[in-house]
This record gives sequence, structure tokens and C-alpha cells, in this order.
Amino acid sequence: VSTMDTQVVVIGGGVTGVAVLRDLARRGIQAILVERSDLGTGTSGRWHGLLHSGARYAVRDQESARECIVENQVLRRIAPHTIEDIGGLFVLLPSDDEAYAEKLALGCDQTGIPFERLSGAEARRREPLLTSDVRLAYAVPDAGIDSWALLRSMARDATEHGASVLLRHPVTGFERRDGRLRAVRVHDLVNGEDVVIGCEWVVNAAGAWAGGIGRLAGVPIRMIPGKGVMVVMALRYVRGVVNAMRKPADGDIVVPQHEVAILGTTDAKVDDPDDIHVSLADVDKMIDMCAQMVPAIANGRALRAFAGPRPLYKPEPAAEDQSSGPGPAPGGDGTADTREISRTFTVLDHASRDGLENMLSIVGGKLTTCRQMAEALVDQLADRMGVTTPCTTATEPLPGADHGIHRLADPLAQVETDGAYGDLLCECELVTRARVKAAVDAGVHELEDLRRQMRVGYGPCQGGFCVWRAAAMLAEGPGGAARPDPLVGLERFIEERWRGQRPTIWGDQARQLLLNQAIYRGIFDLGPEVPPDEAVELPAVTSALLAAPAGAASPARGSGSA
Amino acid sequence: MRAEVLVVGAGPAGLATAARLAEDGHQVRLLARGNGFTHWGAGAIDVLGRTGDRRVEHPLDAIGELADEHPYRVVGVDALRSGIEWFQRTAGAAGLEHPGTLESNRDQATALGTLRPTCLLPAPAAGELDGLVAVVGFEGFRDFSPALCATGLQRRMAQDGVKVSTGMVELPAWNHPRYFTAIELAQAIDDPDFRARLAPGLARAAGEAGIAVVPAVLGLRAGHEPWADLERRTGLRLVEAAIPPPSVPGLRLFNAYRARLTALGVRWQLGFPALGVERRGDRVTAVRSEGASREISIRCEQLVLATGGVAGHGIEALRDGSLVESVAGLPVSGVPGAGEGAAATDRSVYVGDRFLGGHPIGAAGVRVDVELRPVDAGGSPLLANVRCVGGLLAGHDPTIEGSREGVALATATRAAEALAPAASQAATGQGGASR
Repeated sequence: VSTMDTQVVVIGGGVTGVAVLRDLARRGIQAILVERSDLGTGTSGRWHGLLHSGARYAVRDQESARECIVENQVLRRIAPHTIEDIGGLFVLLPSDDEAYAEKLALGCDQTGIPFERLSGAEARRREPLLTSDVRLAYAVPDAGIDSWALLRSMARDATEHGASVLLRHPVTGFERRDGRLRAVRVHDLVNGEDVVIGCEWVVNAAGAWAGGIGRLAGVPIRMIPGKGVMVVMALRYVRGVVNAMRKPADGDIVVPQHEVAILGTTDAKVDDPDDIHVSLADVDKMIDMCAQMVPAIANGRALRAFAGPRPLYKPEPAAEDQSSGPGPAPGGDGTADTREISRTFTVLDHASRDGLENMLSIVGGKLTTCRQMAEALVDQLADRMGVTTPCTTATEPLPGADHGIHRLADPLAQVETDGAYGDLLCECELVTRARVKAAVDAGVHELEDLRRQMRVGYGPCQGGFCVWRAAAMLAEGPGGAARPDPLVGLERFIEERWRGQRPTIWGDQARQLLLNQAIYRGIFDLGPEVPPDEAVELPAVTSALLAAPAGAASPARGSGSA
Repeated sequence: MRAEVLVVGAGPAGLATAARLAEDGHQVRLLARGNGFTHWGAGAIDVLGRTGDRRVEHPLDAIGELADEHPYRVVGVDALRSGIEWFQRTAGAAGLEHPGTLESNRDQATALGTLRPTCLLPAPAAGELDGLVAVVGFEGFRDFSPALCATGLQRRMAQDGVKVSTGMVELPAWNHPRYFTAIELAQAIDDPDFRARLAPGLARAAGEAGIAVVPAVLGLRAGHEPWADLERRTGLRLVEAAIPPPSVPGLRLFNAYRARLTALGVRWQLGFPALGVERRGDRVTAVRSEGASREISIRCEQLVLATGGVAGHGIEALRDGSLVESVAGLPVSGVPGAGEGAAATDRSVYVGDRFLGGHPIGAAGVRVDVELRPVDAGGSPLLANVRCVGGLLAGHDPTIEGSREGVALATATRAAEALAPAASQAATGQGGASR
């Protein structure tokens, strides 16, 4: 057992926890973030990538809508390099209720969301693949955002301001005495040892998993994970985001992102946030519903499907929450559909609520509002700690922001500028060998890290042609013989990718499956003898993930406030 | 347009069938959507590499354990023997020696350092690995990593006393794009001058080793001569390791087939997918196709479908869980639970739990009788003048069991027998098959 000390332990490496860590660090408060897996492996990595304008909530959930439009503008300022400024449309189809269009216009006016009214013909000029019977559309400032790029930038800003990040360190318990948490116990999955982090405060930012952390600390938190299923198509189809102009429902959004389009989404209450099963019926429904807006999707090529849990929260009717965020919107209870639960956020102060003096939880919310959520929580915490330094997260740009807004063609322009065409390791995502080599030299030694950092394996072949090349570069990297068998990592990566492909195997993707199988089983003779070891331990600190692009900060244990 | 025999598909089965029929004096036409599996495979002749999860050492013995529906059981071992003999003779005559026998499998080294079981190997891949072995790559060629290959070979062969080292050859100056593919490199190696400049570096990179494992790129147009020439110049035993597609050894074979078919007067059209058939009674009278944006119809007396399974476009796997044969709309079997039209359940039956564990759609195919005519559920022929060969056949998964080229050659042989003038009775009579 090793020990360390800090002022605040933040639990959860999603966008909320990392935004809290950044805010704390910028106010000069010592903090360590602990995460059970890697950054962005929960809801923050399993969503459609929409930077909300807020219009989706402007009719039924106006507090959320206001938060979204404010933060939409803030993130464009502080994190333009993570954003693709593609705009969005809400489109009214013949089957939709015309009255909803008027409600949406009113809601947008009331919540300060700018929009432009377009005729069906005008909408089709902007989005040529829209169905010809679109009657009316509103253009809104929706955008695409890359949550992994945002996480990396926020984490880097935090570590540059003295904070630390411990990855692959799940929380195993707390030391609680006299109504206070004295320490957080975590388990280092890589070194296999327990670590006790003495602290003054604990922030529970575990999102959909916040209830489990609450149980370990002895406080009840009633999370209602709302599972959302998404389908990845092999083409973008649309220039900007396309939303159905109706009450939020299954299959009402198409988000173009990098080289693909993501269709979303369902919303079903699940008991366990780790339940990310995708049914074939969900996939078919996404395709059929989205094809009503963009008919070409009906015969398109679906690459994979995935699900993520929304971190929804509903207070017990009797509970008195000391909420700094606005209260939950009125809505139904106990139904399987979690759409009625507000998308706004709530800070739970467990001192007044549960008699636990030094823990705050932050629940609900959305990626778009993660910075604002962090500010609200840290304001409250700083007040309790007697820290008067103001929040600067809304005005100070994140590392990498000088790149400006991300454009789809940037990677191709870079490849052409460098004359690197042909040096592509991953043709689908335009990843060059030079970039992979730099990452390997900087310490990446997991294919999974290359995937999250560079999108290796994201395109139509789902890794068929690039992943073994990446495995070869890892085998050639520093460390040599001390590394694990490269084929084990390769098999694990292939099987992980496969999980998301299963529900989308038909047509061209069935052929792609058999071609990839002909390569990996037929030519390379991999498997089936070696079972993939799900429990293989992963490295504790993904330094290159955090350090990109400059390769600077590497938040190892003890380098920060410990 | 018309043909006596129309062969649809230019993969291992279509090429072999067209050649055998033309050799027998038929007037043959070959139509295909595009290149077939010669370009996508390991460049060897697989007959039977695995049954279940077990590696097969002796293909002939293992064939006896296969199910009755397996193409080998349908056409019989004699057809396989004849097919393999024909192939070794025909390929050898084209300068592509393929040593090996049906009695036992051999190891083919791959770029991952694995050793895949196969039956016949092209001579450049057939050398034994023993003693000191150097894995040598070519600078700038991205689809072969000596480190990765050597790591795997060392793990697998250390107990045999093999010691593996790595080396890298700087390529001589040549006119090429800044980065290049296996095909471009193989074409460069076709040039004797280039080889003369390459050989000293290759010999140096191998160091003390007498054997060098290199990516399978040692020449394309000149058969196996560039490989043999480099062996002479370096004094090394050179062993080509399989790399991912496109397969240079497969292209050598494809080119040899193409030359042979041209010499035999076979007309062929690539880029013409077969879209449907015209029928009269239980006979197909013509195949509809499309190329250069207009539909064409090719009349034929006999039709051979060598269109492959799902992987080759021979069968479409639809979203609703139904499987459809692409050209003649034949019933598809081999995937339990998958339906046709209204009988469809859902597509979950297509796939298995693990990517590397095999998938039912890999074994989807058309059931045939002993003369390779498609049959209905009761076993009666559906079309009198249609034969199915190769990957289109039910009862086998060419990738998982490693049987693609063997099934292609065995069924090409049987198709030629069945279409031999007045020989169909004899073929049925001698029937090494199981029914």
C-alpha cells in the first residue's frame, strides 16, 4: 500500500471530472483525478459528438437549452480546435406536427438561441440529400465536437497547472471518520497495489456511475442511466447536423463527424450503466427513422453501433437537494423512457443532504455544459474551502486552441503539405506512419491508445488494413522484447472492434467482415486458440494521450500535488 | 453475344474451370465482376488446413471426417487428386512450380511470424526454415515489419533450434513513388539490373544466416525467375512470407491463368457483374450483365457459376436476415436460421461471438448434386444446365477450414467431367462422391 495526499480527489475521467480538475487547478487548489479505466471510456466516449445549440431542449427543458447555448459559445472560444463548425438544421417532415415548429421558434426566442427559418427548397440547397418532402427547416448553431480532443486539452491544461491524473485506478472504498472522508482508497491495476490518497475533499464526478461511488461513501444517489444507441455510417451524408423537428424521439438526429455520420439515438432506462448492449432492432430503427430525413441512409453502409449511458439524475421526491444548478424539470416517473428527465445538472452537497461533510457530487448534465457544471461545483467547493480565486475556465483558451476551428479537410491538407500521401498507415482516417511513430516514441504502447488518439481503425475497414501495421510499429518501438506479445494486443483490439460491428453485418459490411477474416485468420492464421484476455492490465498513465500534441506533460504519480 | 459454356467468376474456381473446359475443346467465355480471391489470399494452395479448431497435418486423412455436404465429399477425393495434379502441371508449365502433396500439409511463414498450414506452396515460399534465419525487410515498404515477423517466428520456432535475427535492405535507386506498394516493388524486382544492385545489400542484411525470410514481392511478371536469380546472386535460401492483400504470388498465378486462357481462345470480360438469368423451363438460356452503363445479354448452352460466397458477391446477405444467390436466385443454405424472403428470422444468425472464431455466413452456399447442379431442399436438380463450383458451394467455410483453392480445383475438375461430351453418365457412374 502506498500513500499520497492532496486537497481534492476528483473521481471520474469523463468530461465532467476533467473539467472539474482543470477548474480546481486553475484556482490553485491541489487535486488528483482518479479514473477506473482511461479518459473518455464512459459516456464521454460513447455519444454522437454533437455540440448542442440547445434547440433540442428549447420547448420542453428550457433551463438546459439556456445552458447549452451559453456553453456552445464558450467552447467555440476556448476549444475551437475540438469543434467542427458545421451548423445544424431542424427539419419538418410531412408526418410532423406543424404546431411544433411554432413552439420551437418560440422556445428558441425565449432561451436566446439564434435560428434562421428556411423553406424546404432552401434547406435542400444547403443539404442536398435531405428528403424532397421537407417542408420547413430552422438553421441553428449546432456543431460537431471531438470529446477525446477536448478531454486531452482540458487534462493537459489541468496538469500544466499542477493537477495529477491517475488512470486505471478504480476507487475501492473510502476511509470515513467523524462524518468526514479522510482518504480515498484506489487500486492501481497496473502495479497491482492499493493506494490510499489522503484528502480534504472528494468530488464525485463519476457520471452514470455516481450512484456506485455514493454507495461506497455511504450516501444514496439515485442515478437513472438512460441508454442511448448510436449507429456509425461509412459516409457523412450531410454537411451539418440534421435534427427532426419534433419532440425528442428515437432516431431523430444525424451528426456528421470526421469521415463518418452518427445516427442517434434511443433513450431507455437501464439498471446498470455498464449495460451497453445494442439490439438489432435498435439499429434498424435508427436507420429507418434517420432515412426519413436523409433517404440515402436506408441503403447505406453501417460500420458499427454502440451505446452509452446518459448520467441522468432524479431526486427522491422527499429529498432536499442543496442544488446550485436549477432543479429538475417536471416530468413523468417510473417509465422506461428517460427523455422526460431534465438534461440540466445538479450539485449535491452531501453535508446538508446526508451529513457527510466533505463530499460533493455532480450529476446530470451534458458534454456541451461540462465546463459550466465544473464552474458551479468548484464555486461551491471553493466557498467552503475559503478560496476566493475566481473561475477562469470560460475565458482562458485550452492548449491547442491556436489551431482554430477544426476543418474536415485539415488532415488531408496536412498530408498533402507534407507530401505524405502513400505514407498512410490508415488510409480511411489519413493517419501517417510519422504520426504513429511520434506517438510510439512518446510512450504509447497500446493499440487502443492509438485508436482514441488518432482514430486508427475507425474507417470502413474497421482496422482490417491498418491495425497490424500499427502493431508492427509498436513492435519496432522502444522497449522491444520487454513488451507483451504484439499478437495478443492485436487480437484484443480486433475483438474489441468486432463487438461494435456485430449488429451491422449485412451487405457490403458482411463482405468486409469476411475479407478482414480472410486477412487475420486466413493469411495471418490468428486465433482461435488464444482467448482474448479481457482482464489484461493496461498501463497506468497514458502519457501520450494527455501530452498530445506537444508531448509535454506526463502526469505520473507524485508529479503534481501528491 | 453467345457462348457454348459461360463461366461467371474469375477467382480460383472460375479460372481453373474455364481453363479445363477450354482444354477439353469447349468454346468458353468468362465473365466476372472483377478480380477474385487470387488477389486476396496468402498465395498458396490450401486444401484443408483446419477441422474444427484443430490444425490438419494430413489433408487426405482429414477429408474422410468431413460432413457429407462438404464439396470434397460431393465430388470425391479422385477429383481433388486430379485437380491438384492438373494444377501442378499447368502452373509448372507456366514457370510457377508449386511443390507439395496431398499427403501432408506444410508451413507457410507470414508477415506476423505465424506459420499457416497449407498444402502446396509456390517455390519461393517453400523453403524450410532451420538453423540461423534472418528476417529481412525492404526500406520504405510499409507492409512488412522484420521486428514483428521475427518476434513471432522466434516464439514459434525456438524449440526447433531456430535462431531468428532481423535485417533491413536499403533499396537501390529506382523510379518509384515516394511510398510504394507490394506490386510496384515486385515490378521493380522483375528488372535484372535492379536485382543485381539489390543482391549485395540483401546478402549483407542476412548476416551470418543462410536463410532469409522476405516479404512476398520477389518479382511479378517473370514467374519465379526473379526469386531464383536472387538466390543465386546472394547465395541465400530465400523464403517469401505471406503479406496482406494484394497478394503478389496470387497475381503471378492470375497472370499465368490469363495467358493460358488467352492462348486457349477464351474470351473474357472483367468488370461485368452478372445480374440475372433468362430461363426456359429448367434451362438457363442467357445471363444478363452490365458494363459501360448498358445492359448486355450473353446466350449460353451451359452456365458455370464460380461467383464465390458472401465474400465474393455470389451471395447477398440482406439486412432482414435473408440470403440470396446473386445471379440465378438459387436457394442458399449453410446458415442455420437464415431465411429466404418471408422465412427470414433476423441477421443475428449471420455471425459468431468472436471475430476470429468464425461466422456462419462464411459457410453460406448453394447445395448441389454429384454433377454440381443446384438442387432444391429435396435434392432434385433445379436447373439442368447450371453447375456451381468453388466458394459458392454449401458445406464449407473456405477461410476457416483453409480449403479455398483445393475446393476450387476439385470442383473445377468435376465440372469439366460433367460437361465432357457424353461423359455425364460416366461421371455419375464412377461417382467417388458420397451420395
